[in-house]
Amino acid sequence: MTHKGTASFIVQRASAVFLLLLVGWLVFAIVKIAGAPLDEMRAFLALPVNAFLAALFIAASAVHMRIGMNEVIDDYAHGGLRGVWKLLNLFACLGAAALALWSLFTLAV
Amino acid sequence: MALDPAPSRTADRPIASRPLSPHLQIWRWTPTMAASIFHRATGIALYAGTILVAVWLFAVAAGPEIYVATNAFLTSPFGLVILFGYAVALFFHTLNGLRHLYWDAGRGLAIETATKTSIAVFAGAALLAILLFVAIFAGMGG
Repeated sequence: MTHKGTASFIVQRASAVFLLLLVGWLVFAIVKIAGAPLDEMRAFLALPVNAFLAALFIAASAVHMRIGMNEVIDDYAHGGLRGVWKLLNLFACLGAAALALWSLFTLAV
Repeated sequence: MALDPAPSRTADRPIASRPLSPHLQIWRWTPTMAASIFHRATGIALYAGTILVAVWLFAVAAGPEIYVATNAFLTSPFGLVILFGYAVALFFHTLNGLRHLYWDAGRGLAIETATKTSIAVFAGAALLAILLFVAIFAGMGG
């Protein structure tokens, strides 16, 4: 991202390490609840440890995908639209995170 | 414009404009190049995949009616193709991300090593995605 190259570089790698640590749990969760009845899925996601790790995975993903997509935009979008695309990117990442975190919170309480 | 096909020197523009990278079909494909392109492609796929995960979590939280519709879509043949694609993208981007972090440590940059690790990442991603689906369907059957 313009003027924030070093910060983006570091945050992209830090969030990558977070996601690497969490991907094992993600695969475990997928195997555990795939094909399970809805009540079982809800119970799994309501467990504090699963809710917390899922929230962490979503948050780290949102940060990581925002920086990654901004890089794609920098490579392919030119002129005045670049800022608009980046704004849409921010909205999409924040929107996905908000939707997922709200859902996890609803399931946990 | 990056894709401007106009020659770099013309009568009204005597000074060469910024050099452009040759387009995809100019290059001879190599495993490292394929891995680089696939890293970006899977990153974009996972961007959509994460939005799909958010929508799925919403469906689980919203209750049976919305969940049944979402689940019917995801377990349809088209839905399963999307889910398998998500698994391939997840494993490829994860393994190739490890490769990137290894490079950041200043290691594995020799051409022969980078070629070997790129092939390993492709093979590993395919294998893990297949194993995951085998584990899921074995778990559901048992």
